[in-house]
Amino acid sequence: MGILIYGFINSAILALLAMGFNLTFGISGVANFAYGAIYVFTGFLVWILINSFALGYWISVLISLCLAFLVGVFIFYAVIRRIKGMALSEVIATFGVGIAGMELFRYFGFIGSKYGLPPIFGGNVSIGHVTVDLQRIMIGVMAVLLTLFVYLFTRHTKIGLAFRAIAQDERTALTFGINSDKTVALSMGFGSALGAASAILILPLGNITVEGGYDVLLNALAVCIVGGLGSSVGIMVASGLIGYAQTATAFFLETHWMMLVSLIAIAMILTVKPSGLFSQQKELEERV
Amino acid sequence: MLEVRNLMVFFENALALNDFSMEVAKRELIGILGPNSAGKTTLMNAISGLLVDIRIKEMRRGGERISMYGSIDYEGKDITWTDPSERVKRGIVLCRERHPVFKESSVMENLKIAGYLMPRSHIKKTLEYGLELFPNLKRLRHKKAGFMSGGEQQMLAILMGIVANPKLFLLDEPLLGLSPMIQKMVMDTVLRLRSDLSLTILITEQFARPVLPVIDRGYVIENGILTVKGTGPELMENPEVKAAYLGS
Ligand SMILES: Nc1ncnc2c1ncn2[C@@H]1O[C@H](COP(=O)(O)OP(=O)(O)O)[C@@H](O)[C@H]1O
Ligand SMILES: [Mg+2]
Repeated sequence: MGILIYGFINSAILALLAMGFNLTFGISGVANFAYGAIYVFTGFLVWILINSFALGYWISVLISLCLAFLVGVFIFYAVIRRIKGMALSEVIATFGVGIAGMELFRYFGFIGSKYGLPPIFGGNVSIGHVTVDLQRIMIGVMAVLLTLFVYLFTRHTKIGLAFRAIAQDERTALTFGINSDKTVALSMGFGSALGAASAILILPLGNITVEGGYDVLLNALAVCIVGGLGSSVGIMVASGLIGYAQTATAFFLETHWMMLVSLIAIAMILTVKPSGLFSQQKELEERV
Repeated sequence: MLEVRNLMVFFENALALNDFSMEVAKRELIGILGPNSAGKTTLMNAISGLLVDIRIKEMRRGGERISMYGSIDYEGKDITWTDPSERVKRGIVLCRERHPVFKESSVMENLKIAGYLMPRSHIKKTLEYGLELFPNLKRLRHKKAGFMSGGEQQMLAILMGIVANPKLFLLDEPLLGLSPMIQKMVMDTVLRLRSDLSLTILITEQFARPVLPVIDRGYVIENGILTVKGTGPELMENPEVKAAYLGS
């Protein structure tokens, strides 16, 4: 029973982590390797706003989400725009920006385990014989809600429809007046804001550390690669698979083996089906 | 309404359009005829502004060098280097070659995307008119565009163009790959739209037979060079055109 519930929550965590990375990639084909840095940046930013500026929790969260959005947009205009379409350069450039951003925090003394975010609701609930804290319940709920939000947003708003258009055919989108630079920049912004939201939800379970950023990127990559980059159904299935595999590993072996599961999953899928589980369906399935 | 003057387009050192000039008056239906790789799409992309965007993106990637000389005027203003979305706002709408629909989206979603720059009320009104005109699309409106036949996709592509509210409607080889019967249906629809919406239309085609009888004037290009121009009947009587495009 415990493994079922914690496995589900772990899957929800992975889905949240991968969501933003996947959104940006699905729309623009840009693999944003600064994603982990944005996650860490959000964590420290909320911490600073609450602890150094004595702002309230919700206002700090709001400011951080907006700033994460702007950082995503900025990375597009400053770094990606000039090299768009050259996948390797994109990866190297965004990874470089990410490392610089994260190591800057380390340089300024953000090390050790004294940084943490408060949970949205404190307290526990019992499901059967298993006690779960409310923050983990929130994570499960928000993973579902955000998935739903992204689905509705991309189908019922002008920007969302522009996302779907650019994802499928950039030139044809242009013939209807959809500006590709602006739309791709927005997709970077939305992806980053989703990454920030996942940080705000997940970080209360542990500490904010620079190393955490690398794990986040690795987990997001694992989910996206196993699921098939850009496929939203793939994300759900892959988070479930890896999520339960990790939880089982933690239950029966040791916690620090969990990260290895992601690596093994990447290695396995790359040898068996390099394009990911749901890549065929992607051809005629939604990519957003 | 539209005036293209001495347009030259190079892809690296290859000349795709050579000193091409043409003018289009309001409400005219103009045909651009030419075999494969004559430069028809290049011309359409230059007028719609797609070429400006393609050029910028190639430049950023350090890819192909695209150069353009000459000028394009629209409603009295120079638009040679205006970006494509601004041109759509001013009423220049291109329907690209090879049924340009968003294949993973439903028919309705395609139409909503096409109305990106339009207020909801306009989209709604145009769809009421358009879906009446294409009862097939109305029936298929929840179907994924990629699963429809070529003819249905072409009809959808044309209706998408209409949703974007064109004054000057550019149709790049709308008959490509369609059966003669569907080709006739597409041409009838184009004529109907033209009279209902007072459109000015520029249509390209490789085979003259379906379009020559209905156009006001036409330009024939080969290897990027204008070879013959004239009114529809003049072109139909021209021996060269007859031999090359009407197969007689
Ligand atoms: N992106 C491009 N890069 C290089 N050459 C191109 C490109 N687009 C078109 N061309 C060349 O320009 C010429 C005209 O092509 P195009 O305008 O597509 O002709 P059409 O539409 O009449 O078939 C052709 O020789 C084609 O090979
Ligand atoms: Mg062509």
